[in-house]
Amino acid sequence: MHELSIVEALIGQVEAEVERAGARGQVARLKLSIGRLSGVNADAVRFAFELLTPGTRLAGAELEIDEPKAVCLCAACGARTEIEELSLGCPACQSGDITIDGGREMLLETIDVDEFDR
Amino acid sequence: MWKTRSRAAPLSRLRPILDQTGLFMKIVAAQKILKANDQLAEENRRRFSASGVFGVNIVGSPGCGKTTLLEALIGRFGDSLAPAVIEGDIAGSIDAQRIDALGVPVVQINTDGACHLDAQMVNAAASNFDLGQLDLLLIENVGNLVCTAGFDLGEHRRIVLLSVPEGDDKIAKYPAIFRGSHALAITKIDLLPHFDFSVDRVVADMRRLAPAARIFELSAKSGAGVAEIGDWLQAEIAYTASR
Repeated sequence: MHELSIVEALIGQVEAEVERAGARGQVARLKLSIGRLSGVNADAVRFAFELLTPGTRLAGAELEIDEPKAVCLCAACGARTEIEELSLGCPACQSGDITIDGGREMLLETIDVDEFDR
Repeated sequence: MWKTRSRAAPLSRLRPILDQTGLFMKIVAAQKILKANDQLAEENRRRFSASGVFGVNIVGSPGCGKTTLLEALIGRFGDSLAPAVIEGDIAGSIDAQRIDALGVPVVQINTDGACHLDAQMVNAAASNFDLGQLDLLLIENVGNLVCTAGFDLGEHRRIVLLSVPEGDDKIAKYPAIFRGSHALAITKIDLLPHFDFSVDRVVADMRRLAPAARIFELSAKSGAGVAEIGDWLQAEIAYTASR
């Protein structure tokens, strides 16, 4: 469950960003991007978020997680396959002569702060 | 050949944009989660390098032989290198006692349930040592093939261990930790006659995930492979010091 400490760090990071932007309200929505190959499970992040946000500025915030896939490019057969987990060979021809592109990102994209109800 | 390219980290500059409704302030953060850990890890690495200390993060499952490898390396280096050890465990100080018995400075981190070390813990633990007196900081991570993968500690090299009894399918099942490691040590190879463990499969899987990683076959029982991994580490230390 490294997702727990990741969400713990995320809460601190969001609070710092909100502070820095000079916003004063509660966080209403949070958008993250967690790639399929990042080694972080989005459902576990949602669970940890529910667990850790009460009492913080993120309490009750809507959590939106984008989970981009990676692309496997095969030098042997030329296939370009979207993959959801790290593969050791080309899904089309099994060749090991492949390049894996993307899917590893773990990003805090946007924070929506409710400035109406302040 | 295996190459990995990840999207370049976007500008972490903050651009507050007011939503059209005017009710929300949208903050476009576009920054890495765990930015704080990555920054602190970078700071650790700079601090170690400035003191001429080479940091090694040792990862692997519980019982794969991490502490045994540390003992063997410490024995091999003798007086040629001044090592210190950080032991990461959920509880207890069994491993730290084993290192202490060798007369090597050791700090035990109890993570209190956390399944991995992070840069902050290592930063605090390293403050217990006089870094100027050390050449090598061996950091034994919590036994875990999953959670340890995401946390840079500020090490210069990461060694992942895979013991024969764990099975030869572990690289395919836990790719992240193997992919980011500089060396793989296959441990307990004296047990090969008793297990259906294909060293060839493990080597092939590792080659695909981490083509540049060195692979060692070790046995604490016979001492096989200790010289090879020790020599590699010494060469890496010399190479890093020369840069």
